[in-house]
Amino acid sequence: MMFRSLIFAPELILALVLFLFAAGEIRVKNFSNRFALPFLGTGLAGAAVGLFFLGKTGGSVYSGTFTSDPFACFFKYFFLAAAVPVLVMSRVFFCGRPDRTAEFFLIFWSCLLGLFVTVSAQDFLVLFIGLEIVSLSFYVMTAYLRNDSSSAESGIKYLLLGSLASAFLIYGISLFYVLAGTTGFEGVKACFSEPSQRTLCLAAFLFVVSGIGFKIAAAPFHLWVPDVYQGAPSPVVAYLSVASKAAATAVLVRLTAVVFVPLGGIKPLLFSGLAAITLIYGNFGALGQTNLKRLFGYSSIGHAGYLLLGIATENPASAESVLYYLIAFGAANLAVFFVITLVEKETGSAEIGALAGLSRRAPFLAAVMFAAVLSLAGIPPLAGFFGKFYILAAAVQTGLYWLALLGAMMVAVSLYYYLNIVKIMYVSESFSGTKPAVTAASKIILTLLTGVTLAAGLWQTPFLGGIQNAVIRLLGPDL
Amino acid sequence: MSQAFSFAVAALPWLPMAAAVLLLGIPKKNEPALKATAVGACVLNAAVVLALLVSLDPRSGQPQFVFRADWIVSLGITYASGIDGISAVMLLLHALVSTAGAFVAVEPKPRLKEYLIFYLTLVGGIYGVFTSLDLFFLYLFYEMTLIPLFPMIGIWGGKNKEYGAMKLTLFITAGAVLALFGLLLLYAHSGARTFNLADLEILLKENPLGPEPQKLIALLCLAGFGVIASLWPLHSWSPIGYAAAPTSVSMLHAGVLKKMGPYLMIRTAVMLAPEGTRFWAPYLAVLAVIGILYAGYAAMKQTDLKFMVGFSSVSHMGYVLLGIAALHPAAMAGAVLLMFSHGVMAACAFALIGFLYTQTHTRGLGDFGGLARKTPFFATAFVMTSLASLGLPGFANFAAELLVFIGAWRTYPAIVALAVFGILITAVYLLRAVQQLCYGPENPRWPDLKDFISSREKFPIILLLAALILFGLWPWGILRWIEPVLGRILL
Repeated sequence: MMFRSLIFAPELILALVLFLFAAGEIRVKNFSNRFALPFLGTGLAGAAVGLFFLGKTGGSVYSGTFTSDPFACFFKYFFLAAAVPVLVMSRVFFCGRPDRTAEFFLIFWSCLLGLFVTVSAQDFLVLFIGLEIVSLSFYVMTAYLRNDSSSAESGIKYLLLGSLASAFLIYGISLFYVLAGTTGFEGVKACFSEPSQRTLCLAAFLFVVSGIGFKIAAAPFHLWVPDVYQGAPSPVVAYLSVASKAAATAVLVRLTAVVFVPLGGIKPLLFSGLAAITLIYGNFGALGQTNLKRLFGYSSIGHAGYLLLGIATENPASAESVLYYLIAFGAANLAVFFVITLVEKETGSAEIGALAGLSRRAPFLAAVMFAAVLSLAGIPPLAGFFGKFYILAAAVQTGLYWLALLGAMMVAVSLYYYLNIVKIMYVSESFSGTKPAVTAASKIILTLLTGVTLAAGLWQTPFLGGIQNAVIRLLGPDL
Repeated sequence: MSQAFSFAVAALPWLPMAAAVLLLGIPKKNEPALKATAVGACVLNAAVVLALLVSLDPRSGQPQFVFRADWIVSLGITYASGIDGISAVMLLLHALVSTAGAFVAVEPKPRLKEYLIFYLTLVGGIYGVFTSLDLFFLYLFYEMTLIPLFPMIGIWGGKNKEYGAMKLTLFITAGAVLALFGLLLLYAHSGARTFNLADLEILLKENPLGPEPQKLIALLCLAGFGVIASLWPLHSWSPIGYAAAPTSVSMLHAGVLKKMGPYLMIRTAVMLAPEGTRFWAPYLAVLAVIGILYAGYAAMKQTDLKFMVGFSSVSHMGYVLLGIAALHPAAMAGAVLLMFSHGVMAACAFALIGFLYTQTHTRGLGDFGGLARKTPFFATAFVMTSLASLGLPGFANFAAELLVFIGAWRTYPAIVALAVFGILITAVYLLRAVQQLCYGPENPRWPDLKDFISSREKFPIILLLAALILFGLWPWGILRWIEPVLGRILL
């Protein structure tokens, strides 16, 4: 029993760091301003070490509600890796601002803990707890800037709509409990086999998908995205766009691979429909945007469309393609929001015009943004291209021709607004005479992110190895 | 020895890109070093291509100097490269045009370093397309050429550069993703689990796809790659794109990139979905001849030289597409030869126009006159280029167009009759341009107009014209490579 609990080790380490950070903030003067990054960085490393040694075993604890299989471990590594750029970004963002940083880091850390619980869940209640921890943390982080009315406004919007989504989710879960007598994944899967309960099961399934669809920014649950992305502080948006989406994707992949399998043909039909409207809405919505954060909000919706396309595909390769896509999307989106944070700090504006002439005032940042934006568009030899290629190839293999064609055509549509950014950076005259201040840490992080974008585009095999390992045991018994 | 040659072929796309990375390290003030590296890389690659072509066995229709390595086993993606007869012709074209273009690219301009980095990346990507024998990498290199094109036109272009760059990139990408969908359909339907072209060829010869999938795949590939081949009515990106682009980009694009369209059509639709291509061939022929006449007519109405040459290139691509649509050995051989000769000629034409534009900042037909006296080298080159374009015997274009007409006559007599009429239209606008630019009274606006003086300026023009004349007098030099491959492709 003692040793089984060690599967919890990464989560325990995170919780320990959380408490130590809080204690340090209370006892040591100016703790968060001086020591936050090194301390939290060490915490991340500690959690990664814990994950490496203990997390790979698989198996579950507490009567099968919490698992630490390779699939969950993949996502935990992903969240830890994504946290590094966001921490550096936050430091840069809050430098010189009157807001206190200690609470921000504490809430960020609890969000990380929630993400870990979410991807490890094998039980709907544990899943709900994890998702709620993540959501509540994000609500607070979104509204964090007290003196900024748009931050407060987007926080309230996110809270209201997010609570509605959580309500849908818990209602669906309670319906499953009524039908299955348990909230565990295996138990719920069994309840789909009863023909008399089919309709109610389907209803519960729809409620649950609606709740999670909100988090992945799928249409028609996407209305919060542009406003929240525009108002929230940029580092928060960065983590939100990457980690929250990844967590929701992990949940959907796990659910569709394990729990919702008996649904048969309804599942790909539903997800295809969601993918189609998400792709259309996200890509066409971005076309007219002038605010960078809003534009990337719509772009995120578009990318959620591709992830849903991958989830709709019932093919062993499709789960791999979704994970690959997340890596590509994560690296590129984090780089984009990092550059936006730096430019916002320099010019005070997050409008698209703030990027004008960036290639002249900050050639390094412009190059990073160039690579990131083209990766998001799906241009070879960058990572985003292989992600889209893999997802589309898997979809065509399974017979989802129209959806794959739509996904392919949306590449051309999205290219317009991504190239627009390239144009403004490289062609337009410089917006201001100032230069964005780029610290050494920022440079290193941005170089690493661009490196991942290039590496995952050119040498797919090492990334694929890790992904295949993560996916194979998830889908194992069902293949 | 052939092992070394395989590595050389596999390395062809990467050498210019390595040079681009090298350029990153050279400080932007050191212009001589930047120029030397860029030109040197292009010349080195061209030399490697020439060495490979000399060692190529022209009688074999199979790909030679093949390099193959497993890339992603689970998907069946291989890194495969090699040269067969048709890619040999394309490589020769690209070697000539990229070298000539490099000499033009190093002309003084702001932010020269970035321009040369983009130029080398573009050159490398195109080498990748012509050497690749795996569908995944073929597509990868094809789309990769888009990355440098957009900033090159957008930053260093002329009038309407932003609109031209965006239109060009979006159109070509839309076509490319359509073709990608077609290729993925091929992969899924054939059950091949491989993207390697050699494997696919063998597999599809034994178990060809059914007629319905073939029709769909052929349509997607023909239409998708037809965009960059400026198939009418998908051609509208071309005149504005070329007019807006800087000179060396126009040279590369009209000279080589456009030819990637028909090349990819042959590699995918003709070779892998032949029955489907046969179904769509009549439609392709009709669209080709409409393109010839429409673009020719539009060229007649242009007053801007670059627009005229832009529409002219759309018109000439119509002959190439007609040759492919005929699916007849003579016609297709003519089409490939025309790809080569038109590419060289178009590059030369854009280089000449660019030369005028740099000095006068105008491209209007009526803005010049009497250049035969004032700038004899320019005028000679311009006259030769125009005569080559309208198919004067002695230049490679003549043999090519003749072969296309002879080959297509049996299948599409009416269309060929109309297409031949296109030559008359070409003659009209080209000879008119020659007359207005080179003859008549000298235009007093340009008293100090300089001719091509230094050998560095003259070299690209001489190189391209020499190629046109050499293969005009000896078309067998190129056709001998093409014939065996067509024997393999066309059953």
